[in-house]
Amino acid sequence: MKTTSKIVVAIIVLLSFTVSEAQIKNETTETVRIYGKCTICKTAIEKAGNIKKEANVNWDKDTKMATLTYNSANTNQEEILKRIALAGYDSDEFLAPDDAYASLPGCCKYERVNKTASNTAAPKMEMYHSGHSTQTVPMETSQETKGLEPVFKAYFAVKDALVKTDGSVASAKAKELLASINAVKMETLETEPHNVWMKVMSGLRQDTERIAGISDVELQREYFMTLSQNMYALIKVSKTETPTYYQFCPMANNGRGANWLSKEKAIKNPYYGAQMLSCGSVQETME
Amino acid sequence: MNEPKMKHKNRRSKKLLAASAFLLLITQFTLAQNVVRYDLYVRDTLVNFTGKEKRAIAVNGQIPMPTLTFTEGDIAEIYVHNELDEQTSLHWHGLFLPNEEDGVPYLTQMPIEPHTTYVYRFPIIQHGTHWYHSHSGLQEQIGMYGNFVMLKRPDDPTFREGIDDLPTVPVVLSEWTDYKPENVHRMLHNATDWFALQKDAVQSYSEAIRAGHFTTKVKNEWKRMLAMDVSDIYYDKILMNGSSITDLKEIDGEPLKAGDKVRLRVSNGGASSYFWLRYAGGKITVVASDGNDVEPVEVDRLIIAVSETYDIVVTIPTEGTAFEFLATTEDRTNSASIYIGNGIKQLISPLPTLKYFEGMEMMNGMMKMNGDLDDMGMNMSLNQMDMNVVMYQEITGELKEGTEHRMDGKETKKMEGMHDMEEMKDMEGMDHSNPDQYNSNELSEITTLNYAMLRSPTETSLPENSPVRELLFELTGNMNRYVWTLDNKTISESDKILIKKGEILRLVLFNNSMMRHPMHLHGHDFRVLNGQGDYAPLKNIIDIMPMETDTLEFYANVEGDWFFHCHVLYHMMSGMGRVFTYEGQDANPLIPDPKLAQRKFFSDDREFHFMAENDFATNGNDGMAMLQNTRWSFETEWRLGYTNDHGYEVETHLGRYIGKMQWLMPFVGFDWRYRKLGHNEVEENLFGQENTKDSRAQFSLGVAYTLPMLVKLQAEVYQDGNVRVQLMREDIPVSKRLRFAFMANTDMEYMAGFRYILTKNLGLRTHYDSDMGWGIGANLNY
Repeated sequence: MKTTSKIVVAIIVLLSFTVSEAQIKNETTETVRIYGKCTICKTAIEKAGNIKKEANVNWDKDTKMATLTYNSANTNQEEILKRIALAGYDSDEFLAPDDAYASLPGCCKYERVNKTASNTAAPKMEMYHSGHSTQTVPMETSQETKGLEPVFKAYFAVKDALVKTDGSVASAKAKELLASINAVKMETLETEPHNVWMKVMSGLRQDTERIAGISDVELQREYFMTLSQNMYALIKVSKTETPTYYQFCPMANNGRGANWLSKEKAIKNPYYGAQMLSCGSVQETME
Repeated sequence: MNEPKMKHKNRRSKKLLAASAFLLLITQFTLAQNVVRYDLYVRDTLVNFTGKEKRAIAVNGQIPMPTLTFTEGDIAEIYVHNELDEQTSLHWHGLFLPNEEDGVPYLTQMPIEPHTTYVYRFPIIQHGTHWYHSHSGLQEQIGMYGNFVMLKRPDDPTFREGIDDLPTVPVVLSEWTDYKPENVHRMLHNATDWFALQKDAVQSYSEAIRAGHFTTKVKNEWKRMLAMDVSDIYYDKILMNGSSITDLKEIDGEPLKAGDKVRLRVSNGGASSYFWLRYAGGKITVVASDGNDVEPVEVDRLIIAVSETYDIVVTIPTEGTAFEFLATTEDRTNSASIYIGNGIKQLISPLPTLKYFEGMEMMNGMMKMNGDLDDMGMNMSLNQMDMNVVMYQEITGELKEGTEHRMDGKETKKMEGMHDMEEMKDMEGMDHSNPDQYNSNELSEITTLNYAMLRSPTETSLPENSPVRELLFELTGNMNRYVWTLDNKTISESDKILIKKGEILRLVLFNNSMMRHPMHLHGHDFRVLNGQGDYAPLKNIIDIMPMETDTLEFYANVEGDWFFHCHVLYHMMSGMGRVFTYEGQDANPLIPDPKLAQRKFFSDDREFHFMAENDFATNGNDGMAMLQNTRWSFETEWRLGYTNDHGYEVETHLGRYIGKMQWLMPFVGFDWRYRKLGHNEVEENLFGQENTKDSRAQFSLGVAYTLPMLVKLQAEVYQDGNVRVQLMREDIPVSKRLRFAFMANTDMEYMAGFRYILTKNLGLRTHYDSDMGWGIGANLNY
């Protein structure tokens, strides 16, 4: 009995024994160009390329050069660059799939110098597949939702003020927003916007009042997060004349990310302003 | 290892074409026919696909076997030099030829004995992309597959300019596993979950809870299903022309450039894998299927069933770029690439992983309690409605919970659709049900090929005055025991199907099993009745998904014994097939002893598979060994303690599985037990029956039945009149690697324990046994 248990213990110990060695064997180091733009790119490139104990990538944002260190017995440069390309980053060996490039955050949209002109034009169809695409659906102007138009307009003014990091303008614009919220005649709304309006109205009013009442931009931005969410719910069910973009910055809200709405496709971040103006991406396009 | 052979004859210049046509005409007059001879040397070889050297079979030193090219009208003369130490054979897949040349050992010829040479000789009377492979045992899995190309004569009226004159490359798809195929086959029959573990597709309870699908999992097990999957085996490597990555920079010495079109003659030589084919440079144009021309059809992707062939045309859109042609296994765990063109490599995104629990939910909805499938009146056929789309993230949305994605909205809509289906069941015909429910092409902007899109460019209708006979086949089987049959009978359990020369056979196939099956007919092409009328496409393989019904018809015009079977190698070896034979045909001179041949032919699906496991624990040895075939099971279990008062116990059962799902097994048993009971101690069971013997040897009669939740109920009566009823379940998947087991019976014995899977053959186990107490140990299994 005792001996068997000893044997079993020995087996377990043997089995659970793993070599804790972080070093890469048969080390080979190479430097290659990988296209990217910002620190988010750096994280993404390195994450895609790295494999524990097999490959390590260190990318320099300024020179666009990456140092690849890898175990030449297990892998090669091609495999590493392929993984990075599949994450959306071109190199001189591989072109990223178009859908992978399209889903990069806005600040990472580097110039695809390796892709020839006809090459970028052709795969437009591919972009549709990713689901983030802009579709040209014939627009319908709906009389019924006119009632909400001033609300949206005022919201975008608040957003623009936050992009400029101007607390007092934001506060002034929030007052205008509050006025247009109060001016909405609920009974004129269509069923769907009506239902949503009932749900979000008090939240909208509360956030707007708070933004209007202070001039501290950082605080205003916090209220702006929930304001934007409610506004999104509303705009999603309302027909507007021009497309609205639902945009997202992964760094806002202490790294938890936050959304906002914009009339422009190009990213102008209301949560960071000039600090990180182009951080973010379009998550959804509403028409 | 082998450099893939990318060379191929093609006639691009018109001059050359005219010249060769002239030449051919001349030879036609002078020599009767052109004999084309190939010599194939079949040899054992060692390959290294994964870092380990493994045995494989190479022909003329290469894997895949060399592409054999002929022109319609040639006479093929193929010398097979078998340098193996085992028998072999070669089947010419999709060819019209005399039955003796068909290459099915023990059916159309005797096997090619080791170290002998065998000659196949037959006229080439068709054109198109076909392939050839060994039909002996599992040799096809380890290298014996290759392309077989028959070119049109340049003066052929069906010659298509812009298609038949394109630069052409043969592409042979296949898979590689480091496990011996015999072992793979054995593991499948023992319901191993090792492959699922490798594929990250165990679908355990904890994974189900995390995915918010706990009730789905419970319902699934309630309906006695194991984890659902689209493939049976995990492969280490996917190969195209013998390599995972290939550069195709030139064809016949001419470098590829922008605007070039390339015709790929793709055949799926894999033993059990379906592949998605996709191209980074745009749409794929399908121009032929199973060697028969079809009207060109543009798609974004297509799935190629086991043993199917497709001729596809791709275009290189830009200069200085090579575009990835990607073949991904249906389970999406692995892929192979060819880069077509010169320059920087344009990749295509890999297919996202499968949403297994969505698939499980879908299967739950379709499975009746008795194991039959219910298509809810959707009349599914021809791969048009793919139930699997619920698992495809690129079609039905990303795998995310609790987010307000546009795609998720779609999914909810679909689920509502499912409930609506119940109401619609009463109405008849497919027009009433939601036809787009699982229609991949309606649900997304990705165009996927299906059989309804295939149309022959020429009329294919069969002679009008011929008698028509309809034959129905139900594709049946169960995954738990890896039994695959037609109408619940294996090849060896059924007679040959007699047909008459000159009649039209209409086959109606309904797949009532949980896996898809590529059904293949030897020696004939069949028309797939797909709504294209007189232009129905001709094929010799049809992939039938669960719940689908397809109708095929073929003209019986060549006498012989023709095999009709599922082309998943392991399904065929398990007995999924039939033999068509012609009434009053002459005996095959190559089969001198038909009785012996038939016995050998049947032996494949009669094979017994062995498994064993033992737990070397601190409180004793627990184990079992099992020998099983399609219907019979011989099983012995033991519990051996280390001391007399712990006791020693061996139970042996010989039983026969009953029914399609094989949930019921009557058995005869023999129990032997020795245990030192304490003084005056009496064991009493739940029924008040007493047992005082230290040493007990008893025969028994009993039944085992698999209850919902996969709990095994076992009831038996011993010769002394004692009765025992036992409930047991092993391998409840708690997490990816953790399994829970329990047992309780009316002798007041019980057991419960956990097993943690370390490797294919090794696990850690801890359990409590009412006789032997608590123990911990190593579990070894084979």
